[in-house]
Order: sequence, then C-alpha cells, then structure tokens
Amino acid sequence: MTLLHRLKSIVLWIARRDSAEQDLNDELQAFVDMAAADKVRAGATPAEAHRLAVLELGGVEQVKERVRSGRHGGWLDAAARDVSYGLRQVRRNPGFFGVAIATLALGIGGITAMFSTFDAVLIRPLPYADADRLVMIWDALANTDITSKGNSTPAEWIEWRRLNTVFTDLAASQPGDATLSGDGDPEQVPSRKVTWTLWSVLGAPPMLGRVFTEDEDLKSVRVVVISYGLWQRRYGGASDIIGRTISINDEAYEVIGVMPRSFYFMPSREIDLWMPASFPGWMRTNFTWHDAQIVARLKPGVTLQHAREAMTSLSLQVTAKDFRGPHPVIVTPLREEIAGKTQTALILLLGASVALLLIACVNLTNLLLSRGAARGREVAVRLALGAGRGRLVGQFLTESLVLAALGTLAGIALSVPAMRFLERLVPEAMGAGRVTLDWRVLVFSTALGLAAAVTFGLAPALRGSRVAPQEGLRGGRGTAGARSHRFQHSLIVVETALAVALLVCGGLLLQTFRHLRNTDLGFRRERLLTFETPLFRYKDFDRRVAFVNAAVDNVRAIPGVVSAGAINLIPFTNFATATFYLLEGQPKDGFAGQAALIRNVSRDYFATIGAQLREGRFFTASDRKSSLRVAVVNEPFANRHFAGRSPLGQRFKFGELDDDGHWFTIVGVVKPIPETGVLDEAKPAVYRVRDQCEQIDDLNAGIVIRTAVEPASIVPAVRQAIWSLDKNQPLARIQTMEAIVNHQLSTPSQSTTLLGAFALLALLLASLGIYGVLSYAVTQRTNEIGVRMALGATSGRILVAVGRRGLELTLCGLAIGLGLAVIASRLMTALLYGVRPDYVPTVAIVSIVLVGVAAVACFVPARRASRIDPMLALRHE
Amino acid sequence: MEKLDIPQGTLDLMILTILSREPMHGYGVSQRLAALSRGEFQVNPGSLFPSLYRLEQDAKLKAEWRPTENNRRAKYYRLTAAGKRQLEQHRERWNRATFAVTCVLEGA
Repeated sequence: MTLLHRLKSIVLWIARRDSAEQDLNDELQAFVDMAAADKVRAGATPAEAHRLAVLELGGVEQVKERVRSGRHGGWLDAAARDVSYGLRQVRRNPGFFGVAIATLALGIGGITAMFSTFDAVLIRPLPYADADRLVMIWDALANTDITSKGNSTPAEWIEWRRLNTVFTDLAASQPGDATLSGDGDPEQVPSRKVTWTLWSVLGAPPMLGRVFTEDEDLKSVRVVVISYGLWQRRYGGASDIIGRTISINDEAYEVIGVMPRSFYFMPSREIDLWMPASFPGWMRTNFTWHDAQIVARLKPGVTLQHAREAMTSLSLQVTAKDFRGPHPVIVTPLREEIAGKTQTALILLLGASVALLLIACVNLTNLLLSRGAARGREVAVRLALGAGRGRLVGQFLTESLVLAALGTLAGIALSVPAMRFLERLVPEAMGAGRVTLDWRVLVFSTALGLAAAVTFGLAPALRGSRVAPQEGLRGGRGTAGARSHRFQHSLIVVETALAVALLVCGGLLLQTFRHLRNTDLGFRRERLLTFETPLFRYKDFDRRVAFVNAAVDNVRAIPGVVSAGAINLIPFTNFATATFYLLEGQPKDGFAGQAALIRNVSRDYFATIGAQLREGRFFTASDRKSSLRVAVVNEPFANRHFAGRSPLGQRFKFGELDDDGHWFTIVGVVKPIPETGVLDEAKPAVYRVRDQCEQIDDLNAGIVIRTAVEPASIVPAVRQAIWSLDKNQPLARIQTMEAIVNHQLSTPSQSTTLLGAFALLALLLASLGIYGVLSYAVTQRTNEIGVRMALGATSGRILVAVGRRGLELTLCGLAIGLGLAVIASRLMTALLYGVRPDYVPTVAIVSIVLVGVAAVACFVPARRASRIDPMLALRHE
Repeated sequence: MEKLDIPQGTLDLMILTILSREPMHGYGVSQRLAALSRGEFQVNPGSLFPSLYRLEQDAKLKAEWRPTENNRRAKYYRLTAAGKRQLEQHRERWNRATFAVTCVLEGA
C-alpha cells in the first residue's frame, strides 16, 4: 500500500512538476509570511520581520532543494531535470555540441562498421558444425614456382581415408561441369563433384530433402543437391523440387536435396550444384590426376600440429607412387582458406578505424576540457548560490551522458551505410552474407565515448567545487592552469601524429593501386569482350575443334568485331593449369620441379588480344594438325632456360613425357601475361595451337573478341552467333576484360578508398582540434595578451607568437606521425602487392598538406589574438 | 539558539506525535516543536519540510490547503489511519527502549 502510494507520488511529481513546484513555493512563502507576522507582533518592523523570517526558514531555494532531493524518488526527478537541462544546453550551444556529437559519431560509427565487417569475415562462424576443426589438405609443391600448393588426387583421398589416424573423415571435391537445359534457357552453372562424405565432414545438413549416400556415389546414380539460390532463381522456389527430374548436360538427374541459404563451400560462394564424384576405376589408382580439393575434420583432441606431422609422414609414404616423387602435404585451417588475402586489408582498416576513434576521443576531450574550464566561473557562482556539490556533479554528468547518447546514436546511424559499403569488400568465397551490426563492438565503443565524455565533462564540476567560491569568482573566466594547457597540447600532438600516419599509409596504398591499375598486362584490355562455352556436348576431339573454329568464325562475322580468338582459359579467370615439361637434352627424370602454365589457343588469339611478340612468330595458318608441332613460350619461360640466347628452334615435351610424347618446337616468345591473376607475377607459360593438341581435356572454350564498338552492344549478336550453330549451347560469364580486371582489383581499390576516407577524416578532425585548442587558449589569455600589447608588443609579434605555438605542435606531431607511418607500412607490405613504395613523394605531399591545413587552423585564432584591443582586453575577465 | 539537527527517525516520530493532536501547517509544527521542547531546540525547516513530504508520500500524513486563522492560505497536514498506527508502534518501541535503558541505568 505504502509502496503504491509512494510510486504514485513520484510519478505525479514528475508529470506535474510545474504545479508541484508552485505548490511547494507557496507553502514556503506561507511559512515566511506567518513567521514574519509573528515577529511583527513581537515588535519588529515589517522589513526586518521579513528578513528574519527568511533567515529562520534558512533560504527558500535551499529548503526547496532539500525537499526535492529528500523525497522518495527525488533522484529520479533530479535525473529527469538534468536530462532536460542537458538537452537545453545542446540547443543553446549548437556549434559546440554539433562538433562534439559529430566527432563522437565519426569515431564510433567508423569502428563499429569496421569491426562488424571484420567479425563477419574473420570471426563469425562458418556455416558448418564446429568449423574450427575443419582443414584443407593440399599437395605441397615446394619445388615448382607456379604455386606452392596444389590439388590432390582422388587416389590420395582414398588412401588418406584408409590410413590416417587424425581425421574423423575426409571429403574430396572436383570441378564440375553442369549445363542445365529443358526448363529455361540453357545455363551453365558453377558446380562441383563431391564425395558423399562432404556433408558429414562439414556438418551441414540440407534444408530440404537429403544428400546422396555412399551407395549412390559408388554406383554413379544420377542425383544432385542444389543450392538455395538456384532453387529460387531457376525453379521459382517450387515446393515440388525434391524428386524432380532436371536435365544436366543432356542427361536426366533427380534433385534430392536443397541446401540452406546460408550454406556455401569452396571454391566460391556461387556453386549452385553438387553431384556425386563417382570416381571411375582408373581415377582411383591414378596418382597423377590432380584436380581434387580435400577437406577433413580433425578428430577431437587432435591439434593442427599433430595432424600436420601425421599427414606428412603418411603422405610421403603414399605418394611414393606419384610421378613427381614423394611429397608432403600442406594442412591449413579452412577458415584461413576462405578469408584469403582480405585478411590483411581488414586488419589494416581496423587499425585505421582505431586510430580514427582515438583521434575522435582526443578531440572530444579537448573540446570538453576547453568548455569545462570556461565554466569554472559558472560552477563557482552556482556553488555560492547554494547548489549542492553532489547535485552539480550530477548535472554535469548527465550533460555528458546526453552528449554520449546523442553521439552514439549518430554513430550507429553512420555505421549502417558504412557497412553496406564494406560488404563489397567481403571475399567472394564468403559471398554476400550481410554484415550485421556487432553489438559487442557497439558496446565497447559506446563505453569508450562515454568514458571520454564523462571524464572530461565532470572535471570542471569536480575541480570547481573544490575551489572556494570566492576564488572562483575572482579568478576570471577560468581557473585552468598551465598543467591543463600542457595536457591539451600533448593531446594535439598525439592526434596530429595519428592523422599523419593514416595519411601516409593512405598515400602508399594509393601509389600501389595506381601502379596496379596501370601495370602492363601484356595485352590490350580495352574493347575486349570474353565469354565461355562448354564443350561437353562434343564428344570427340575433332568435333570440338571444329565447333570452336566455327564459333570463332561466326563471331568474327558480326559487324563491329575486329577479330576473335579462342583459348582454353581466359586470362585472370582461373588459377594455374600447369604441366610438367622436359627440354630436349634433359635427362628423363629432369622434369621434377619444372612446371609451366599451359594454354591452348586458336591461331589468331594473340593477334586478337594484342599480345606483344618478343621474337619469332605467333601461330599461322600453316600450323596444322599434321605439320610440325610448334609452341609459343613466354619470356619468363625463355629466361629460365635460355637466358641470353634465343630459344627459337629448341624442343621440349610436355604432358606425355615418355617416348610416346611429341616434341614441340619453340617458334616464338611472347611478352608475359599474368594469366593467373592481375595481381600475380607472370609465371612461365607455354601456348600451343588447338589443332595440334592430341586430346583436349578442356571442359570449356573461352572466346575473346576485339570490337570496334562498345563490347556490350554486340552481346545479343554473339549469342545468336553461337545459337545459330547449336541452339542448346549455353554461353557463360559474358564480360569485358575491363570488368574482369576491375573485379580483380576490387580489394585494393576498396582498401585504398576506405583508408583514404579515414585519413582525410582524421586530418579534418585533427585540424579542428588544433583550431579549437588554440582558439580557446587565445580566449583564456586575452588578458595576458592585452597586457603584452599595452607593454609594446606589436600585433605582428602576437600573431607570430600564437601561430608559432600551433606550428610547433603540428611539426612535433608530424615527426612522430612519420615514424608511426614507417612502422605501419612495414606491417602492411602484403597489401602493397610487391610494389615497392616510394616514400619521398608521399611524405612530401602529406607534410605540405598537413602544415598547410594546420597553418590555416592556427592562423584564425592567431589573427584574432593580434587584433585584440588592449584596452578591452585589460578589462576582460 | 542553535538549531540542532535531529536524526530523521526521531523527527518523524515527533511530527507524528504533534499532528496526532490536531492538524497543523509546517510553521505551526516547527513552533510547537520549539515550545514543547521548552526551547531546547528548534528544528531546521530544511529538515522539517523534507520529513513532512516523505511522510506524506508514505501515506502517513495527508495534506490539504486550508485558510488559517488570519485568513491566509496554508498547507495543513493531518495524520492518517496508517500514520496513527505507525505512531503507536513507534511509541511502543520507544517506551520499551527507554524502559530498558532506565532499568539498566538504575539497576546497575
């Protein structure tokens, strides 16, 4: 009962505060009146009586305050009043609060967005059970320079399963080839052939239906599991998808399962279809067929190190039968595989956002300190008027909390668009999973901002209440001493240093990026349209070659096409397809360690892409199936074996390396094209003309088209050209070379953009900080400056003195910042993609920009100082 | 004469006692307190009013505006039934306490 009554009274007081206050006021007035009346009756004059009566009450305001705080729930009322007071302050000082809130918002928003992305890419759980127990197993190719790790073989997978002691199970995944037809346009979808164990190893159950069994795999039953995306896209999310028969590669398959939306697996998020691997008999014992990626689950209690050791010895034993000789394996955690190179970029950006947050906090601190010192007098006055110290502190605290709350809200609002932008940075393998707000980071950065706001907002109240009111009143505008100035100045140096470091790193990245963009790719990339088309429907070699040639001829006939060519793997779209080779004169087993990329091209491929010939010739019409087998090699290949002399006329074998193999004669050397990726360096490569290949295992043909018009405009004509040959033939991945290159550069491009944005923001904040602190110092010392001017200092000298202080701080920050930048650039070498940074121009530009901006920031307050009228200043308090 | 600061519990008790006789306004309470204690102490209005408000929040007192003898308006407080009960309990406890202390003092 009492409690209820109490609660009611608390709520009513707050809700009807005005009338309650009025009521209280009237009551106390009545007290005074009655006391005064008594005293008049006792003989005092009315004026005297009134005065005594007020004294007897003890001061109306004081008693009111005691009633307010003494009531039950008085603290709540006080809090509500403080919040509204705080908000009034914000309205009255929009400039100050605007800057403070914006500062806080930038810091919090930036780091929240960054860390959420970080979390999504590197920390968030993968869609597998207990994902940290999953590893990939690669063959270690230590002695080739194509790549240090290579695909495994199905035969190895069988042996690992049989013999290992450290994994609960393993699964193998091979490239698939799936062209869907019949219920829509013919469409080639990314697919994989996987062993039945994949699903149990990953611990990823299907959303609908089931996955295939061991029996189905071994018996090559035609069943498939499809992705959520494919189910929605091609089949409209039909509820009868399970059990439906679809046509893949012109054969009937039954759909038995659909994977959940969040599921994905290597090599990319876009895999739409999984078929049983169904290894043919010969593949099970062939240790040379390297196209399988193997994933395994560690047994409970087995460490990665232990697994590595166990697998090394096991693999050396098993791969003794490999024609390359026994080799160990590389075991890497699955998560590392998926995160890829973006890891470094993200770490860098996370560092940058931390720096930005620090700068924001420093600025906030400076702002609050300045404002706090200016309020020293206000505090003294209020104390003198009888405000309780506790209440005063409470009020300032609430003001800081209001600031922190507004800043945090603004920060969250800011982080949402930032995260959308960052999503595009997320690597392909992890796909377009939404980056969501990570509440832990939000809590952390809110706490940080809160701490800064509270600490330096409280300082004046705490400090002022210690000083006796008379001193505070006398001491003029503020009681800030030299110590507080030094602290503020060192904060300025810190934030300038951070801004400089960010700017320099941003400059280096920009350098790298521009270098990458302009790097010579070995051919002309403008107006080059590319696409791929599968060859599975042409069962024998001759028909494949005929089809490709006809396709190229048809495309060439399109108006607007300058030339067209074909290649098995379009540049930059695939990782290595390499082969071992043997040069004439080398011993039979000398091929170990000698590998080169291999590409099969049509005769006018080089001309179409605009490759550059270093010596010899490209392919001509005279290179036919029955004539001398020729090859074109690239410069790295030539330099590797024939440095200083001409490789023309030399012969080598590849593929079939024994006596049945054919010798190929080198007829030309081409300038290097980084086939494996724009950011990779060019590896040794050999090119042969399609007609002269013995057999083509190539699943696809890639066609390149040089156009005189906008490439996109001829796309319909290209489709027609292919469909007029064969109406069921799909075209896949129609894109321009420019688009491919830009896509490859997207990570460095976005990293550069983001870092640049952070750096510019940091510069802005830092210069605002310098301006703020100097401006405040000038105001504080107006008196002092007035005295100096009265004593003879010219306005010029004042200008220089104030300006010099600012520039000193700036240069100090610059020096420290450059040091930080050098350290940071060492740490981010991975992001520089081997481009050696040229420090001089970056450092020079950054220094000039910084000093320039700082000079402006100093100049304004300095000029204000120099224009102070000494007479006014001396009277200024 | 100094104003003694009385502990809150005791002050509440005295307020309730005074108001048990007749409803009174704040000034009246403070005057009566001074009179009853034979001028030993005058309660600080800065403590009195908060006590009055608290007791009112706890439904031990009820307040209403009434005209005084001199036709001024003042806020009168009077005891509620709950207040009366509380007073009885307090008095009971106080008597027992003082009795015990007196016994100890006299018996020792």
